[in-house]
Amino acid sequence: MTASVIPLPRRPEAPSRTKRNLTVLATLALLVWALLSVDAELDRLVDLPARLASMFDRMFLPPDWDYFGTAAAAMVASIQMAWIGTLIGAVISLPLGFFGARNVSSGPVSNMVRLFLNAVRAFPELVLAVVVFVPIAGLGPVAGTLAIGVHSVGTLGKLTAEAVEGIDPGPVEAARATGARPLQVQRWGVIPQVLPEVVAFWLYRFEINLRAAAVLGIVGAGGIGQILSNTLEYRRFDKAGMAILIIIVATILIDYISGTVRRRIIEGSGARRIQGDVLEQPELVEVPASPLSERGRAMARVDTDVG
Amino acid sequence: MTSASLARPAERPRKPPRSLLGPAGIAAFLLITYWAVSSEFGIGLDLGAIVKDLDRGQVILADVLRPDFGFFERTIPAMLETIQMAIIATAIGCGIALPAAFLASRVTAPNAFVLRVDRGVLNVIRALPDLLYAMIFVAALSIGPLAGIMALILFNLGVIAKLLSETIDGVDTGPIEAARAAGAARVQTIRTAVYPQVLPNYVAFSLYVLELNIRASTVLGLVGAGGIGRLLNLQIGFGNYDNVGFIILELFLLVFAIELLSISLRRRLV
Repeated sequence: MTASVIPLPRRPEAPSRTKRNLTVLATLALLVWALLSVDAELDRLVDLPARLASMFDRMFLPPDWDYFGTAAAAMVASIQMAWIGTLIGAVISLPLGFFGARNVSSGPVSNMVRLFLNAVRAFPELVLAVVVFVPIAGLGPVAGTLAIGVHSVGTLGKLTAEAVEGIDPGPVEAARATGARPLQVQRWGVIPQVLPEVVAFWLYRFEINLRAAAVLGIVGAGGIGQILSNTLEYRRFDKAGMAILIIIVATILIDYISGTVRRRIIEGSGARRIQGDVLEQPELVEVPASPLSERGRAMARVDTDVG
Repeated sequence: MTSASLARPAERPRKPPRSLLGPAGIAAFLLITYWAVSSEFGIGLDLGAIVKDLDRGQVILADVLRPDFGFFERTIPAMLETIQMAIIATAIGCGIALPAAFLASRVTAPNAFVLRVDRGVLNVIRALPDLLYAMIFVAALSIGPLAGIMALILFNLGVIAKLLSETIDGVDTGPIEAARAAGAARVQTIRTAVYPQVLPNYVAFSLYVLELNIRASTVLGLVGAGGIGRLLNLQIGFGNYDNVGFIILELFLLVFAIELLSISLRRRLV
């Protein structure tokens, strides 16, 4: 090394932030536009805490215990709607899931099935109930059940297809090598691999459907939603409070039972207790019904990994 | 291994003992299903009657599938309101969710107590459906978009905080150690070592809830919480099902457009 001091290497220049700044600016501009032009009386927010406090007071301190029987019976109807709706969805989606999987079905068929499943998923249960099933089945829980069932076909079919695409090809090859016919290959090579996962999806969907069944009554499609919308409309907050209480307790209880069964199915009898988040509530976010499947799939994975 | 054992064919392994859980599960399933379907205990589902009545829905469905494009002009104000509500709720909900997520992750929470409390609150928020929040806020604030915005904010807070806190749980701990070694305090560590790692996911989740919010607008309007759903409800009430069909189509296209936008935005970010 010579005696002269080696100059320090120059610090690299910071990357340009123009693009980033422009994006942030555009987003802010959009937000300001929305805030300024929305037709909401923002000054009403001043009273909101006080109003919510008084509503809470009238709802839960105390709730109308005489109303317990009526509200509980309606909640039971919601649970039944969710159960049968999920069952309808499961039965129809299972074969569709197989036809939608690229590795066991042919390309054109799987594309068509997936397109169909995406289209079905695009309609929320409430819209299906209003537009299709209340006219067919009349007001009542049957309409809501069918709406839940049809919507579930879309979501469950997609998840099933993805589970089938993720199988280990070994058992399929083994079944073929022993001379199994196509249906036998599915029965012995594919179904044993996907069934635990698929049944877990069904239970998970049941938990989501329970929430849907709790609100479908708003459009007259049965369950506790009817009570909720009536009591809130006539400002019978003590009765509404009872109904809300029942919804919360029933939902958390059923989530817990269903979650336990799901874990038992996925992990087998040697289920280890995993502490912390894994045992927590599943993420009950609707998987977006994506016309472009790539994005929806990424989200679905986020979704189901949590459960 | 001895040569004697090689000569003998391997013994077939014994079958595992049959578990009683399988049959018990099936029995429970059949019982619950009977209970739910039967007309005396349950909802009285009669598939035969439904098949017989299938044609009753035909008139409406035929109208829905023949949307009236002339209705477009009248949907514009309500559509704009839906978009405004979605943008405001996304901005506020995601803004609150950011600190909530940092407090709900084991990596960044200051202590176990804060972690438990924050997660507990978020779990309660997520236990109720968004529509129920809308009904409560409509009762407290009266009909209008403000109630819808408030309901969406709570809904978004629950979704984003959950997804983001799980992303934070999975960050690379190297930068955190580096920041700590350089003497950064907790907030500085989060700012320089954690936040940059989860920023792309945060933006992706935010775009995702923007889309969820637009989807939710159909149902929010049913309870009077503003947006396109109010118009939808009105048209259903009038029995103008061709207009209903148009609104559904319009929403579908809007969601599709937002999705394309968010895909291109995210590709640039990640």
